[in-house]
This record gives sequence, C-alpha cells and structure tokens, in this order.
Amino acid sequence: MSFLRNSVFALAAFAATPTLADLTLYSGRGEPLVAPIIEAFTAQTGITVNVRYAGTAELAVLLQEEGDASPADLYWAQDATALGAVAELMQSLPEAVVGSVPAAYRDAENRWVATSGRGRIMARATDRVSDDELPGSIFDLTAPEWKGRVVWAPTNGALHGHLTAMRAVIGEEETRAFLEALIANEPIAVRNNTAIVQSILDGEGDIGITNNYYVSRALSRDAEAPVDQALFDDGDIGNLLLVAAVGVLNSSGHSDEAVQFVEFLLSPKAQQFFVSDVQEFEVVPGATIPTGRMLNMEQVLTAAPQVDLNTLTDLEGTLQMLRDLGVL
Amino acid sequence: MSTLTQILPMGRRIPAARLIFSAIGLAIGALMLLPLIWLALRAFEADFATVQSLILRPRTRMLLWNTALLVASVLALSTAIALPLAWLVSRTDLRGRRLVNLLAVIPLATPGYVMAYALLGLSGRSGFMAQVFDYTLPRIDGLLGATLALSLYTFPYIYLNLRAGFSGFDQSLEEAARALGATPREVFTRVTLPHLMPALMAGWLVVGLYVIGDFGAVALMRYEAFSYAIYIQYSAAFDRVYAAWLALILIAIALSVVWWESRLREGAHYARTGSGTGIGRRRLTLGPLGQALGWGFVGVVVLASIGLPVAVLSFWMVRLDDLPAVLPALIRAFSQSLSVAVPAALMAAAMALPVAVLAVRYPSKLSTFINRLAFVGYAVPALAFALAFVFFSLNAARFLYQTQLLLVTVYALSFLALALGPIRSALYQARPSVEEAARALGHGPFSVFARVTLPTIRPGVIAGMVLVFVIAMKELPIAFLLAPTGFRPLSITMFSRTSEGMLMEAAPYAAAIMGFSALFVGVVLRHDKKGG
Amino acid sequence: MKDEMPNLPKTLSFKMPAEASPLGYRVKPKKTLLSVERLRKSFAKGESAAVERVSIDLGEGEMLALLGPSGCGKTTTLRMIGGFETPDEGRITLRGRDITHLPPEARGIGFVFQDYALFPHLNVLDNVKFGLRKLPRAQAESRARDMLALVGLEALGARKPHELSGGQQQRVALARTLAVAPPLVLLDEPFSNLDAAMRVETRQEVRKLLKEAGSAAILVTHDQEEAMAVADRIAVMEKGRVLQIGTPDEIYRNPVSAFVASFMGRSNILTGTASGMEVKTEFGTLPLSRAANGAVSLSVRPEQIMLEPDPEGPASVVGREFRGHDQLYWVQEGERCMLVISGAGAMIDVGARVRLRICDCVVPLS
Repeated sequence: MSFLRNSVFALAAFAATPTLADLTLYSGRGEPLVAPIIEAFTAQTGITVNVRYAGTAELAVLLQEEGDASPADLYWAQDATALGAVAELMQSLPEAVVGSVPAAYRDAENRWVATSGRGRIMARATDRVSDDELPGSIFDLTAPEWKGRVVWAPTNGALHGHLTAMRAVIGEEETRAFLEALIANEPIAVRNNTAIVQSILDGEGDIGITNNYYVSRALSRDAEAPVDQALFDDGDIGNLLLVAAVGVLNSSGHSDEAVQFVEFLLSPKAQQFFVSDVQEFEVVPGATIPTGRMLNMEQVLTAAPQVDLNTLTDLEGTLQMLRDLGVL
Repeated sequence: MSTLTQILPMGRRIPAARLIFSAIGLAIGALMLLPLIWLALRAFEADFATVQSLILRPRTRMLLWNTALLVASVLALSTAIALPLAWLVSRTDLRGRRLVNLLAVIPLATPGYVMAYALLGLSGRSGFMAQVFDYTLPRIDGLLGATLALSLYTFPYIYLNLRAGFSGFDQSLEEAARALGATPREVFTRVTLPHLMPALMAGWLVVGLYVIGDFGAVALMRYEAFSYAIYIQYSAAFDRVYAAWLALILIAIALSVVWWESRLREGAHYARTGSGTGIGRRRLTLGPLGQALGWGFVGVVVLASIGLPVAVLSFWMVRLDDLPAVLPALIRAFSQSLSVAVPAALMAAAMALPVAVLAVRYPSKLSTFINRLAFVGYAVPALAFALAFVFFSLNAARFLYQTQLLLVTVYALSFLALALGPIRSALYQARPSVEEAARALGHGPFSVFARVTLPTIRPGVIAGMVLVFVIAMKELPIAFLLAPTGFRPLSITMFSRTSEGMLMEAAPYAAAIMGFSALFVGVVLRHDKKGG
Repeated sequence: MKDEMPNLPKTLSFKMPAEASPLGYRVKPKKTLLSVERLRKSFAKGESAAVERVSIDLGEGEMLALLGPSGCGKTTTLRMIGGFETPDEGRITLRGRDITHLPPEARGIGFVFQDYALFPHLNVLDNVKFGLRKLPRAQAESRARDMLALVGLEALGARKPHELSGGQQQRVALARTLAVAPPLVLLDEPFSNLDAAMRVETRQEVRKLLKEAGSAAILVTHDQEEAMAVADRIAVMEKGRVLQIGTPDEIYRNPVSAFVASFMGRSNILTGTASGMEVKTEFGTLPLSRAANGAVSLSVRPEQIMLEPDPEGPASVVGREFRGHDQLYWVQEGERCMLVISGAGAMIDVGARVRLRICDCVVPLS
C-alpha cells in the first residue's frame, strides 16, 4: 500500500497544472479539426491558445449566460447560425482582415466571418441505393420508399443550421411539415455526422444527410467502403452550403491577439489545411490548391440554393421546433 | 452496556472535537445541497405552463421508460452472471476458485464507456470481427448494447456483495431446513435466497445508481436514457430549463431508488450469525461434469467481460501505425487527469475523516443526518450533480466557475461516499477504548486524533483515497460539464474520439484508462481479502 | 453498622469499615481519595436512569470492586469516574478537587480497558511510554523499561501488541497505566478476556502490582468470586443503584437483600416472623444475624444447613451434584426446594428421606 501511495504522490508531482494561455477559444468544432490549427498558430506567433471544446449551441448558451464576464476571447462555431445568435456579443472585425472573404460569408457588420465551408450532401450505401433511386430533393426522403432507411442526427449542430436555413427560405410551417413527415418515416437517429456514415457502412441505414467531408473521410480510410455521396437537384434546399465561423468577443481583453487568430484562420496556410486535411471548402477564393476530392467548390456552389447567411440567426426557434416534435 | 454508550449522551460537556467535526460535517452537507437548490431554483424559473408542457410530453415518458428498462435489464443480466459465479466460488469445490474470484472482479477495470467502445469496435465493416474472422457483425447498440456494456462492467459489484452474503450466512440454517424435509431446491429458494437478499439489494443499489447515472455507455450506444437526454439538452439545445427539469426528475428517481432499497432492507431482518462462520464450511462436491459446466460458465463470462475489451483494444492498438507520435498527447491527457484526480482524492479523504469520526465516535441524530448528506453526491447522478454546480457557480460563485478547484471539489463531493466507506470501517475496527486509553494517559482529543486515531486507521484512509483517485481518473460526465477550458483528460479525449468514429485514435486512451483502473481492482481485491 | 443496614435510605453512603479484610490487608484508609456523590446518568429521555444516585467513597490505596449483572450501571459509573461519560447529576471529587466536568486527560486517573486498548501501531515499549510525554525522553524511556520489568515483560519491548498473548497484553496495559503513577486506577472487567486458569493467577498478580504501586483501584466485574478475591470492599449494584457496600466477608455473610444474597453465591430464601434477634420459621426459632421485627425474608446459605438421613424425615433428596470436595443436594420439603451443601459424611442417595437443620444465624433481608 505504501508503494501505491508513494507512486500516487510521485505521479501527482508530475501532474501538469494548466498553463496560462494568452487566448481562450470556445470551439464548437471538434478537437481533431482544431488542434493542428492551434499548433500552427502558436508556432507562428508564439501566442498560446486554451481551447474549450463543446457543442456549438452549448457554447452559444454559455456565452449568453456568462455575458461580460466570459473568459472567452474567441468563439469558433461549427455553424454560422450559432454565431448569428450571439452576434451582439461580438466586436466588428477590421475590414483589412476579413475583406478577402466574400460578403455572403460574413456578417453585415463583420461581427463574424466564415472560416470554411461545407456542402450538405447525401451519403448513400452504394450497394443498396442505385443511381436511379437517388432522390432529386430532400423532400423526397419523406416518401414511403425511404421508410426506415434514412439516417439523421437530430441533435447535431450542422442539422440545426440546415433547418434554420430551411425555415428562413421555405417558411416555418413548411419546415415543420417536412420534419413531421420525415419523423413519421421512421428515420434512424444517431448522434453525429460520423455516426451517420458509420450507420450506412454498418448496413443499418441506406441514406443520410451529412456534410461532404464525412464521406470523403470514410473513403480515405477504406477505399472499398460501400458508401459515396451525391447531391440533390441543383438549387434544392438539401444542398445547402454551410460555413463554420469565428468571432471575437466584445469582452475580450486580448482583442489584438484574437484578431490575429482570425487573420490566421483566413491565411492560405489555414485555408489549405481546411481544404486538404478537413476536406472542406475555402472561403478565401483562390487561396488554395484544390485537391482531388469527390466534389469541388464549383459543383457545390452550383447545386447550392441561394441563402443569405445573415438571415440565419434564429437557432433557438429551430431547437424549439425539434423539441416540439419530440426529437430533442 | 456498550450499546448504551452509543445513544446520544445528554451530558453538559460537549466535546470540542465533536463541535468542530459537526460544524465541518454541516459545511460539507451544505456544499452538497446548495447547488441542488440552485438547480431547483433554475428549474422553477420557467412558468408553470411551459414546465408542464415540457415534462408531460411523450418524450419525457419515453426517457423514463427507457431508463427503467435499462436498469431492469442490467440488473437482470448482471445478477444472472454474478449469482452463479458467487455460488460456484463460495459453495462448491470448483477447481481454481481463487483464480475465478480474481477473474470475477477484474472487469471493474473496464469503465462502461470503454466496454461500449469495445463492443462497437467489435462490429461493423472495419471492426474486429470483420477484420479478424471475416464476419461482419451487425452493430451492437441501443438497449442491447447498453445492457451488455453496463452489465459486463458492473456485475462484479453484485458478485462481491453476494460473496459477502454467502460467507456471512450460517449454513446450519440450510441443514435445519433439510432436516425439516425441504429439498435442496426448496432450501435454496426458501432459505438461502431470502438470506442473500440484503446482499443482493446492496449490490443492486450500487449498480442501479450507476446505470441511472451512466452517461458514456448510453451515449456511445445511442440509447436515449435520462442522463444522455440531459446532456443533449445541455449541449445541443438552448433551453437550460428543460435540462434542469430533467436533472431534477433524474435526482428524484435516484433518491427514490435509495429510499426503496432502505425500506426493503429494513423489512428484511435476518439475524446475523457471523460469529461462527468459516468453521466447518461445507462445499458441494462437483463431479467432472459439474467442474466442466462450472468452468464453461466462467469461461463465457471471462471471454465476454475481459477477453472482449482486451482483444478489441489490442486489435485497434496494433493498427495504430505511429504510437510514439501519439505519446506526447497521451501523456498530456494523463497528466491532466492526474492533476484533478490527486487533489480530489486528498480532498475527499479530508472531508470523509470528520464525517466518519462523527458517525462512529459521536453518534447522534445530527451525525446520522450529516452522514446521510455525505451520500447525496454519490446518489445524485453525476450529470445532474455537475449541472447543479454549473448553475450554482455561474450565478452564485462566479470565481469558481470553470476552475480546476470547482472540478476537484465536485469530484470530492461526488465520491465522498467511496472514501467514507473504508475510513468508517477502519474507525469501527479501531476500538474506542484505544482512544480513551490515550485520553486517560493525559492526551487531549486532538493529540489523540493525530497520535492514535489517524495512525490506526491509516490503511482505511489510504484505501479511501485510492478509490476516489482511480474513479476520478476515469470519470467522464462531471468532467464534461465542469472541465476548465483547455482541460482534456483521458476520459474526455477517449470519449470524443470514439464518438467521432475514430476508434483507432481512441485506443491508446482507452488502454491507459483500463490499465489504470486495474489499480482500482487491486484495491477492491485487497479489501475483499480482509473482509473475508 | 450492622444495625444500620435494614434502614438504609435509597441513597447509600457508607463509612469505611474498621475490620480487617479476610485476606489480611489493611483496609482502614489513610484518608479519602475519591468521593462520588449522588451520581446520576440516563442515556435517553424517558428511559430509566442507567445510574441512579450512586455514592461511593474510596480511600487512598484501597481496592473496590463494582459488582453486578450486566446492565446494572457499573461500567457507566466507572466511565463517569474516568471522564468518558458526563453525569447528569452528582459530583466526583478526587483528593478534594471537583473533577466532575474535567476531560479524562485532565483527571490523572488510570484506566485499564476490558480489551486492554493497546495502541496497535506502537510497539510495547512505546505503548508504555505513551503517557510519559511530559518526562524528558531518556527518563521516559527508563521509566517505561522499569515498568515493563515490573510486569516481567522487559524482553518484549520491541514487539507489537498483536504479537503478545492475552495475559501479556493485560500486563502491558497495566504497566502503561501504572507508568504515570496515577493515584487511582479504574479497571473495566480486566480479566474477562483471559481463560479460567490465567484469570485466577493474573488477578492476584494485578492486586499485588496495584498494592505495590500504592494506587487505589476500582474494578468492575460481574464475577462475585473475582470480586471477593481481589477487592478490599465490594459495592453490589443492580438497576443503576448501589445496594450494599462492604468487605467481601460482610457482604457474603450479611446480604441486605435477596438480590445481594443470591448474587453473592447460592442462597435459600425463607420467610418468618422476627422479633428482635430471633425469628420464627418453619424450621423452628432461629437466631438472627441482626435485629428485625415483623414478617421478614431470610437468607440461609446452603452450607449453613445440615442434612441428616432420617427415614421419618419430612424432606426428601430430589437431586444431587457431586462437586469433588463436597456435594450439592436439592431437597424437597413440602412446597419448598432447598439447596444444601454437605461436605462431610457419606453420600445420600436421591429419594432418601432426610431432616434439615439450620445451624447458624440466618440473615434478615430488606
């Protein structure tokens, strides 16, 4: 026992105390997508960043609850909708920093700016869904032939952003009707986008709405995996282009460093990382070398409906709707 | 006469030690309850109609049903595993009982979410079965997956209780029943089983509370039980009021489980005739077929509970091409886990000492009350407890919010009961006369505590600390809600990789957790040996 | 003194008897060491008191046994004197100083526990040294060694308590207590954890050690034989009260009540009508040990009865137990069954007719 005790205390002596970082980042994006960026940023600038990883919505609520006392300097959301919801807490970013990003991908007052984009796409089981069967519109998924075959992640932030856009574009009632019909079609509910693809790989579901890079990621691990991705008809709301976005808090005591971080996210180096490693799309045109991926920016842009991201602020309304429908 | 001295003394002189310990005990109790009050306040913030529509909706009913179903099936499966094992080890001459005893406790080293990871890693196209045996196992999840993951991990708790029950049971009762004409089967159902009930219920309580509070396994298994729903509400939804309400309901469920268990145990009064045990213990002689069947059962259990996680983990570890590259991150996560687990263990022991002294040395209504309070943190499901502290620190103690101190304190409160157990039993074993002898030899109460009591109960204190330490090393739900920014311990890192489908990347973390939890098993076994 | 007995008030307070004890030790106190006055203690409201107005005086160097069945309040009384329980009422003075509300460590009273209460984490020598912390280290060391030598355990100083036998532990506990030279040592059932043979040997040794150390002692026991063997005086307790205090001889021969009579060994209880120093009973008119009047209960010890075989006798032997040095008979006479111890003469068979004769003073009971 005394050996045990001694080793416990010896280990305790080793235990690291959290380092005092220069910046605090609230990240709704997962660690694998963020950690390499932070590493590169610190290597380049010497500024250290402490990251709080959590759900995008969770962090938005947290920022609201914390108000001025928030320890956060930056909020990087998986989806711009969440940033829209807390835009009043954010400061305007200098035009010099965000000017290179098309106006459609940033807040009208520059309180947030997109860092990367991704297409909402269909993932399908190649062995169970033929090209002929592919639905032309997201609304087709409520048809009887898809009963019990659709996989979705009702608690996932990307879906929440997608639904928020649907509400803005096709209207409140129509969105609710779509959801009701979809739920009535007994979809398979999973936790997140990875799980959607996994579910299809495991032969559980046949088709799912997810982000473009999840399928790419699965295929890069196992080229033989019986899954691929497809787009709905051009302009269909199912092909929405979503962006991840970042903002600097009003209350930040390190605005300069925080802006530097935003600048870094928009730099060719970071944009290239999003494109090649995360398999997302760049938001600074021409900054990157395209890679041989399944869909390119042009295809996605052609297929995507025209939606003004600045109108997508009512995340709370979407969550309320999902709760009313009993899936949240 | 000695029992008389345990009744509240009404003397005029109240010992200073008792006053001080009572004050500390009450402060700890307040620390337990205050955040729960904040949680309730937060829940009642909403207007009545909203609350009603939130709570009465079918989804809440479904969550209740799912949780009850999961508890029932885990209790059933883990009892079905533990009862035959305990019987084989305690009452038959099965060969290698010592080894079986060890094998029956080792599964504690695999936390539910690691077991869930193992089950997930077993199935699917790129899973263990597909790659090694070329057979694609359908995904094991939902109720079945959650039941398996939790039962295969928690059955040792029931096993240990049942074994203690078997060893504290006077076999002459069974013989008396046989002499009265009962068949062996009747003896088992009418005499043995009723006497095992208190032990069984004690085991069920531990496992039941664990299942109600589990977050990791149900989340990975996509089973919508209460804890998971609370987490979803907290992390994915804007409305914290609903999360608060769900947490309150979950607390009510857990407390009613505790209450029912104590009621049932009160009803079941069985004379303890432990004094003569161990002498003349007779074991059933198993023939060759019996030995084979016994070991067959043991083999299946071991294969599922130990073989499975070890095989799946090794499988994914081997596939990890660049282990050295992972090491720095692994060590960082490990040291982060340490940086809260060690202070949590120390704090829990420091809290448990005065509470235990009150219970053992100064029994009174107040000390009973304080001791009940000390169990609140254990009975309240972890996620609800953590949520209460989120609300509390955000609103009433901002300076604590998102600090390591808060996380450590919540760990200490949540695991106080674990530290309390060994410390209290050590105190019970340390005869009060030894302390009184020191008093009679001229030492004041504090000198006696430091020079006599503490050295005597040191093994108990250390055991309590090690228990808390190891549990805190692998804790998941509390860390999820209360982790300071930048804090990524082993459990969170492993969980988030697994839920991102990165089974390979999660493997080293899972292995570290399992390896470390083996320490916990060591402590349990050590105690078990002492207990008989 | 004898005459006072039947008229004792509810609270008993005794003067030291002037006689010598049968064991030949001087019991006449030099002066009063401990005075316990009207001690009362109840553990729970509404329950009858565990200790009810107990008063005891103890002289310097005297050994007193608190004797009674379990639950009679003897241990509680002892623990109140030691400071481990607080009395609800009453006063305890030691050499004239009121110690009623002093904590145990401030009383300077030694306590030997039933389980010896040796510190399991300390070796034997350190156990003995434990109370000597006010002495300089070297002095404490030598004092402790002396004490161990006194109890004959000088060679075992480095052992841990669990490595000792029960008797050795007992002696360490005593050495530890006596090391601080307390004027008074309290012993709670000190011999109950020893086997029968050890017990007889140890109790004389303990008595000798205490007498040599000059410490007064109060010993709690439920064994009348042990009390008579060790104590200068015995206080018999029942239901929280002291029924009688006196020398062993006095209490055995002159019990004040049926309870004391039967607790101090086997006794036959008769009834009769007393007048002065005589009492009329069914066995004829017998002398009384002390004056009484009216209807009384009487205690007759089995050895005070003679058994004479007589085919015409009014009684018959219904049972017999051979005890080696004597025989114990159960004799039925009419409705009554009497116990008789008969050492001399031939054995009488069960069923034989006999005549009973009481050949000594009988004791009137209150």
